[in-house]
Amino acid sequence: MDPATPSTTETDSRSAPPTFDTRRVRAMVRRSLLSQSRNPDFWFLLLVLPLVDGLLFGSIGVAYGIGDAPVVLLVTGIMLFHLIWQLTLAGSFGLLDEVWSRNLLNLIATPLTEREMLSSFGVVGLLRTGVSVTVIGAVGVVFFAVSPTSAGVVLVPSAALLLLFGWSVALFVVGLTLQYGDRAEVFSWGTLVLLMPLSGVFYPVESLPPVLQAVARAIPLTHVFDAVRIGIEDGEVAWAQLAIAAVGTAAIAAASTWFVAHQLRRFRRDGWVTRFV
Amino acid sequence: MAQPPTPTGPDVVLRATRLRKDFGDTRAVDDVSITIHAGERVGIVGPNGAGKTTTLLMLLGAIEPDHGTIDIAGHRLPGGRSDAMARVGFAAGYLPLPSGLTVTETLELFGRLYGVADPTTRAAEVLDELHIGRLAGQKVESLSSGQGTLVGFAKAVIHHPRLIVLDEPTASLDPDVAMRVRDRLEHMNSERNATLLLTSHDMREVAELTTRVVFLRQGRIIADGPPDQVVASHGHADLESMFLAEAARVREQEV
Repeated sequence: MDPATPSTTETDSRSAPPTFDTRRVRAMVRRSLLSQSRNPDFWFLLLVLPLVDGLLFGSIGVAYGIGDAPVVLLVTGIMLFHLIWQLTLAGSFGLLDEVWSRNLLNLIATPLTEREMLSSFGVVGLLRTGVSVTVIGAVGVVFFAVSPTSAGVVLVPSAALLLLFGWSVALFVVGLTLQYGDRAEVFSWGTLVLLMPLSGVFYPVESLPPVLQAVARAIPLTHVFDAVRIGIEDGEVAWAQLAIAAVGTAAIAAASTWFVAHQLRRFRRDGWVTRFV
Repeated sequence: MAQPPTPTGPDVVLRATRLRKDFGDTRAVDDVSITIHAGERVGIVGPNGAGKTTTLLMLLGAIEPDHGTIDIAGHRLPGGRSDAMARVGFAAGYLPLPSGLTVTETLELFGRLYGVADPTTRAAEVLDELHIGRLAGQKVESLSSGQGTLVGFAKAVIHHPRLIVLDEPTASLDPDVAMRVRDRLEHMNSERNATLLLTSHDMREVAELTTRVVFLRQGRIIADGPPDQVVASHGHADLESMFLAEAARVREQEV
């Protein structure tokens, strides 16, 4: 064993706060965009899926609706759902990409911090969301004469809540991926597939079977989509619905933040990194 | 370009004190202390299960020790991990590079993560230094195993690290290419006072590259010193015969 040795003359960072360097975030964003843009799946999810969704739900609204309201509700609903969808996919696939390419240890052995890495996933998610929502908005305008802002000012708080919810799901999937590796992939899209019918994206919860209505009302998303529906139909901002959604979403965001932090601690403590090399 | 470390006297680059790590009922690392000074060339060796990888991963901040402290260039892990890793370069022969990028893009990525001011220029420089400039535009997926290892090594030294940590650095390389890597390491060690810490199953490589060997058995250090002294103190002719004897001992215990 070594005896005590003279200490180094460099800065001691024992009590220094964790660093956050936006250059490292930008480097990871660039890495994600470069590698993902060379993958056909990326373009399908980013452009083709929103195009198909916009056309599909717009056409259903035209076929079965009376007046303009149904098509506006359906196109706005799918546009808003893509806010959650794209952010969740980008967040969870950001880590899964590193797992699939066994690059995690390479990144851990750099100054990149966990917060910087997660932030880069979030930035990529916001970029994907912007493109995807623009595509659906354009489909609505061009093919169905539906303005993407038909719901009015309620869209602003609704979009913010949906993004926060999508990011919370992404953090949850990241936490599971740290433990289970690529077996957690199913949660990235499976969670949203489950939420879509239950959260009244396209219809009021009263349309659901009675046994599921209580479940639906417990999901914050349901209240966001309720508020949007009221905005489209009555031109009002349903603050009560938004408040319920805000409280629920904040609770879920807090829980998923705790979960990912807990999983990161276990990742280091239990040596999970060895599963990825 | 990142500032190269200032060649100094016998300052401490890495100090690990009384590291211990348990996984369930298994003690992977037991009371390991290592202090490495600038410019030292240290090999951590031992048969499978000796605790080399766990020790290395703790030193990189990837695994948290149950007990003990780790300081790298004055930055204590885990709080100072980011600052510490800015001074460390890591490459492992078994680790692939990030998919979907060219060699230059890969080096630029890591250059940016390490804070290199002009990563594009530095990427070209480091590829030239390793005589692999022709690979610059190739996708990393198309590289041979040996080429990938060389690019991984380029990634590890793009920022002129003070401490270069290498896990099985030349495992998949042809002998002439492995020799080129060893020459490069010796050059960085002598010219830039870079400190080397490596693990390898190739005892001839360890004997050739290092000036100090830390020999592990079942998570504990059983010898620490210059290779010839370590070998002599355990009654062996060379490092390879000591390694083989230790490996046989582990196999007997398993039986």
